[in-house]
Amino acid sequence: MILNRFIRWLGRYEGWFGGGAALCIGIGLYMGLVTSPPDYYQGEVVRIMYVHVPSAKTSLFAYLVLFIGSIWYLWKRDPVIDNMCHATAGIALFYVGTALLTGSIWAKPTWNTWWTWDPRLTSFAILFLTLVGYLMLRTFLDDKEKEATFAAILAIIGFIDLPIVYFSVEWWRTLHQPMSMSVRGISFAPEMLTPLILMSIGSSLLFSYMLMVRTQMLYLERLLEAKQGRLLSETRL
Amino acid sequence: MVAIRGIALSKSFHYHQVLNEISLEVKEGECYALFGPNGAGKTTLLRIFATLHRPSSGRFEILGRDGLGDRAKIREDLFLIGHGSYLYDDLSVVENIQFALGVRGGHPTDHEIKLALDRVGIGAFRKLKSRHLSAGMKKRLSIAKTLLIRPKILLLDEAYASLDERGVVMLNDCIREFAKEGSAILMTTHDRSRTAEVAHRAGVIQQSVLQEITIQEMLAADALF
Amino acid sequence: MHFFNTIRWIAWKDLLSEVRNRENISSMFFFALIVIFIFSFSFSLDPRTVQEVMPGIIWVAFGFTAIIGLGKSFLAEVHNDCMEYFQMLPVPKGAIYLGKFIGNVLFMLIVETILFPLFVLFFNLDVLEKFPQFLLIFGVATVGLSALGTLFSALTVQVRAREVMFPILLLPMAVPIFIGAVEATRGVFNGDAFALYSHWIQLLVVFDVIFVIVSFWIFEFILDF
Repeated sequence: MILNRFIRWLGRYEGWFGGGAALCIGIGLYMGLVTSPPDYYQGEVVRIMYVHVPSAKTSLFAYLVLFIGSIWYLWKRDPVIDNMCHATAGIALFYVGTALLTGSIWAKPTWNTWWTWDPRLTSFAILFLTLVGYLMLRTFLDDKEKEATFAAILAIIGFIDLPIVYFSVEWWRTLHQPMSMSVRGISFAPEMLTPLILMSIGSSLLFSYMLMVRTQMLYLERLLEAKQGRLLSETRL
Repeated sequence: MVAIRGIALSKSFHYHQVLNEISLEVKEGECYALFGPNGAGKTTLLRIFATLHRPSSGRFEILGRDGLGDRAKIREDLFLIGHGSYLYDDLSVVENIQFALGVRGGHPTDHEIKLALDRVGIGAFRKLKSRHLSAGMKKRLSIAKTLLIRPKILLLDEAYASLDERGVVMLNDCIREFAKEGSAILMTTHDRSRTAEVAHRAGVIQQSVLQEITIQEMLAADALF
Repeated sequence: MHFFNTIRWIAWKDLLSEVRNRENISSMFFFALIVIFIFSFSFSLDPRTVQEVMPGIIWVAFGFTAIIGLGKSFLAEVHNDCMEYFQMLPVPKGAIYLGKFIGNVLFMLIVETILFPLFVLFFNLDVLEKFPQFLLIFGVATVGLSALGTLFSALTVQVRAREVMFPILLLPMAVPIFIGAVEATRGVFNGDAFALYSHWIQLLVVFDVIFVIVSFWIFEFILDF
């Protein structure tokens, strides 16, 4: 398969992804935290955006990867794809968690509340819960194929559910609390845009790097299990 | 014609490889008996043929159809009598049979059901809820379902387990009848003398490998494994 | 058509079992009743507060009902390994889903229609003449809740710690149903014109359609991993 070969080819340059991520995030952080100016309205608080926005974007991207991987698994039933989905879910959880945490810290000084039932916040919270459920479900199943299939089903259902959650919360909120706290359309100055772009690229590179490493780990774990199984079946009572 | 064909079937569960490249052929009208120690993988092999497990590697064919790609078609022809009784506690014996056949698209008449139940010897318990049935009666009920479905492939797991003497005779009678009609029967069992009455061929699964033996060898050996 | 036959037989089996043992409906009903009691102790019952919190109370109670009832809906199927029998059936697995789904919707609706007069009784509501509107909302919300619940029940029933996993998976996904149902119910309580809350019912209908179709398609993989 072309795609499989492409991924394997990509895997050879795994180190470049890691290095690129470190470089982008390093420079991006330095520019974001030191050289870029504070925002006119938000002051120094705006700097958390350099972490928040990229991780939020990457977590959505990760969930898309999980969705496509899950469909792919149900179609082809290739265990490596399942390893990739498993890896993606864990990393996506990390990114969603980061986005929620930084968003919450940012919201306290800006909106004067840690949490509000904003559609974006709510759908991210639901995304977080879905991913936790996904990983929990995986630990509670013994049969490998069952685990992979059920997890894929859950990921697909969750992905379809997410936009509906978003719209329903949006409707609900416009009914109850008028959108007073919406984010003002930030027109970024170039010195703010550069670190943001760098951080976004770095974040996606980091995701790809972690995904490659984690997929390989899970794959090797599976091989090890198979090998142990073969040894076990040779030593019988 | 070959009814069941397994080609280099392997299956491992988690840390444990149960079957290692097992190949097996059962022809139409033939009864094949599988022996082997507990945990040797007899049930797993049966469940692979019953399309309940996917093999880790290797492939199999049922009546010439691919076992993984053509599952929906295969399932019309096979029936498994396994450890599960597939019964609902709150339905009576007759209702359970009607349901089990109905969901498959079968329409047995009351008379046919009565005949089948009488033949397996539980005709008197037709109205009894299945929660009150004993293990042997549940087994007989499964055999009654088989009599109504007449599958081309019959898989029997622990064929004689929990059946009494008469039950064993009755089951052997049914197996002979099915074989005569051209069905292929694959069974696992531990009762060699009972099996010898109906089996045409036999094999022993041990150390995840299948070794074929003749019926004479099977009867003559002190211990199979 | 095998397909519709299978749906019919499975729904028939569920209803008949329920008529015989009344396990599902009675446990759902009494659990929700206790929830109502707890709520009536936890809030002061002046009419304005009741108006304000009532939609929430109703849907929390119905949500618990769903967790109790739907979570158990596939328990009868694993009890005697009937899931395996379903897996071996030569019919599209979506038919099994629809059969279970129809049964679950019926059970939920029955419990909800019994519970609603009790809400009216305990909280001194004055809404009995709006019963048709409520029934419509209960209907569309229950269909969505059952569509997801039936799917997740089939999924978690084969998992360790199923009692925990079922609500953990179901409730976050069911957020749109709860929002839509609570808002529409509130609209009826406030005596709003139908047009003012009809978009919530539309949301629920869209949710229902999407998830019945998706679950129907994806159920194949739950039984045939």
